[in-house]
Amino acid sequence: MSETTAPRSDTGARTVAIDAEQLAGKRFDYQSDMSLVEGIDLLAATPGDDINWLEDIELLEEDGVPAVFDRYSNSFIKIYFDIPEGRENEMARKVLVKHLMEGNSYGIILKDVHCKYEQVDLGPWVGEPRTVGTDWKPPVLEGWEPPAAH
Amino acid sequence: MAGVSAGSKTGISYDARGLAEPDAEAPGTAEIDGGRARIDATDLTTRQINLELRRLIYGEGIADVTVVNPGSKHSLAVGILKRCQITFEGSPGWFACGLIDGPEVRIDGRVGWSCAENMMSGSIVVERSAGSLTGAALRGGDLVVKGDVGARTGIDQKGGTIIVTGSVGINTGFMMQRGRQIICGNAGNGLGDSMYDGTLYVAGRVASLGIDCVPGEWTDADAEVVERKFRIYGLGPPPEFQKFVCGKQLHNYDSLEPSERKLVI
Repeated sequence: MSETTAPRSDTGARTVAIDAEQLAGKRFDYQSDMSLVEGIDLLAATPGDDINWLEDIELLEEDGVPAVFDRYSNSFIKIYFDIPEGRENEMARKVLVKHLMEGNSYGIILKDVHCKYEQVDLGPWVGEPRTVGTDWKPPVLEGWEPPAAH
Repeated sequence: MAGVSAGSKTGISYDARGLAEPDAEAPGTAEIDGGRARIDATDLTTRQINLELRRLIYGEGIADVTVVNPGSKHSLAVGILKRCQITFEGSPGWFACGLIDGPEVRIDGRVGWSCAENMMSGSIVVERSAGSLTGAALRGGDLVVKGDVGARTGIDQKGGTIIVTGSVGINTGFMMQRGRQIICGNAGNGLGDSMYDGTLYVAGRVASLGIDCVPGEWTDADAEVVERKFRIYGLGPPPEFQKFVCGKQLHNYDSLEPSERKLVI
């Protein structure tokens, strides 16, 4: 992202970060309270006999804050609680799965409006997700006429 | 599904979603038996097969679907985003099971190019050999090929695990960015060429290493992941592997490339 197109953070400073909080317009409780994610069963939330895709999810850092990357919205979820030593990746995975299970990932929120095909709204981390995209209609821009050449 | 063809002043209609068969409907020909279903793909088009899969998995809530006679048709079982079991009795063609997120797939046959491209999660077990570009841009999940594969296995791989019980062709792991490949046989020329990150394990002979692919140091974590994957997929005791990683001399992410870095995490 170039300097001129970089969005502004809450403080007005230019930033190149893509923050889940910024996309959602709020901070989620589980970013600050470890007890809300402790009970997440990672094995149950993933296909197969191990944690499958979560194997590649690790605790990273964004803007100097511990964070986990949400590939479904291309954004970082910052983690504000103290992470016990040796459980960094486990807590990162649990925060991410909680974020996805609650349907708070911005990319998933967009499905309701923009899905062009029948598909599930959440994903494989929940048992029976809702189906969306069954009645998509091309958007109509009021007053727009197709160019004469087309 | 509602038709979405849009008209224009010239009378030429098009489908905004780019579908070749915009008005296709799920044929409803599957045999359903409790929580399982069986689709005979003999007389169905690719789109009809995929619509039938979606009808069963999304609409009917069936979690175990078998597709018989896939006839090497391309792009089967793409974009399924739900936990389920899918079995192919026969060989799909190119781009089988691309973009899936959750299904556990077993293919009792061969596959063509680009099986599991962009898979997000789940597993695919191919009982025989696979074509080139297997696991292209894989993002997550496990892809197991119980045979040989062609060139550029896991090109642009961004996560997940590819296991090949046979040998792989040239430029395996080309521009690999994350994840791991476990190759039980030999590897062709240019292994790991231009890789950014990730790990390659090879049990057989490596014809040559690609640019910036270097031997890595074996750790307990490597042994754990290899043994665990072999156990899960019933592959027996793992052979001894050599490990290869990126030498970090060719590509680097730094503070000037934050958006590029995000593409691979």
